[in-house]
Amino acid sequence: MKRPRATGLDVVLDPQRAEASLWRRARFEADVGSRETLFNRYLLLARSVAARHFRRRRAVERGDLEQLAYEGLLQAIDRFDPLQGVPFGAYARPRIAGNVADGATRMTEIEAQLSRRYRMQQERLRTLKIDGGGDALTTLADLVVDLAIGLMLEGTGMLADEDDADARPGAYEGLAWRQTQAALAAALDRLPQGEQTVIRQHYQTGMSFAHIAELLRLSRGRVSQLHRSAVERLRRWLRHHRG
Amino acid sequence: MTLLSDARMQEVVDAVAASDDADLAIVDRGLTEAPDDPRLHFLRGSVLAGIGRPIEALASLKQAVALAPDFTIARFQLGFFQLTSGEAAEALSTWGPLALLPEDHYLRLFVGGLTYLIRDEFVPAVADLRRGMAANVENPPLNRDIQLIVDRVIDIPAPVAATTEASSATSLLLGQFGSGRVH
Repeated sequence: MKRPRATGLDVVLDPQRAEASLWRRARFEADVGSRETLFNRYLLLARSVAARHFRRRRAVERGDLEQLAYEGLLQAIDRFDPLQGVPFGAYARPRIAGNVADGATRMTEIEAQLSRRYRMQQERLRTLKIDGGGDALTTLADLVVDLAIGLMLEGTGMLADEDDADARPGAYEGLAWRQTQAALAAALDRLPQGEQTVIRQHYQTGMSFAHIAELLRLSRGRVSQLHRSAVERLRRWLRHHRG
Repeated sequence: MTLLSDARMQEVVDAVAASDDADLAIVDRGLTEAPDDPRLHFLRGSVLAGIGRPIEALASLKQAVALAPDFTIARFQLGFFQLTSGEAAEALSTWGPLALLPEDHYLRLFVGGLTYLIRDEFVPAVADLRRGMAANVENPPLNRDIQLIVDRVIDIPAPVAATTEASSATSLLLGQFGSGRVH
């Protein structure tokens, strides 16, 4: 794979200082952006802890274990003292593992049996409830398009398929579908920052809205609102793209 | 503002340089005598940076510049520290007043070169950094750090080493200490 060309900043960047700068801004200056950068930086650590737990005990779906790992990671970020000189990874790993183990034990059998994807879709649907202002058919059509956008976002390659399902294009994925999907992926970059973050964290990372709210220090209602307005914006752009 | 006498200051600097692990306690003792001495805060920032405590190092460097805005080497190093921390906008803001230095002043040339570097304009960056080194007779250790940067820039687009030596390009060397004005 071709390596990206080094930038001028790369030449002088000191990784230890850059990391310390993120911690300083996240912990002592309440900078939500730095906190999110740290979360994204240690996302793979959280996933690897969840995967390890999953390999040992398959009682709980892997996606649920990842949610627990994200929760543990957020808690570790908020409790870590960057002045102690301990590397964050070493500090966070046992805490994330503890949260995953405790959470998996707490999960009821019913919760564990309900597909995580189903629950995510239900949550998504709740945020998309239409205001009922237009006629019923238009409202329904909008809702269907919005749900389809969700499916497409999951298929843009943003969300890793943890079920190891067959990823080959099927009849469902016609040319038009794939073209729309590509347009959608490109449109994501044009979303306002807050909306983009919600969409990426939900569809790319697979985070629940509750955890996104915690990550961004927003209310769940606000995250739902950002999700809804992002999907509506994408729907308008897609219609324009088709026209 | 209470400042340490020059003789006492030299004593502190010598003691820090002679200690194996750049003992912070030596500087802190000096600060109990003169808590507002910007040179001591700069020295403290240098020591903290050297022992891998960047968050506190930054605070000390900022304190040095806040106490003595015309302490040019401290201002340059604070900006450099911010730059190496990935905070380019903050570095440029810190360096702003150095634009008032004479055009051929080595710090102004270094700032010019590093500003080009931030914008990925490598040719003028190297030119200004080299002119700065040629003009710098006051602070030879700083030239070594700048030369490392020049060498890395020349290597682009060849892959840049993934890790940089924390203490090489960015160290706040005690040898620089004492240069620059303190008002």
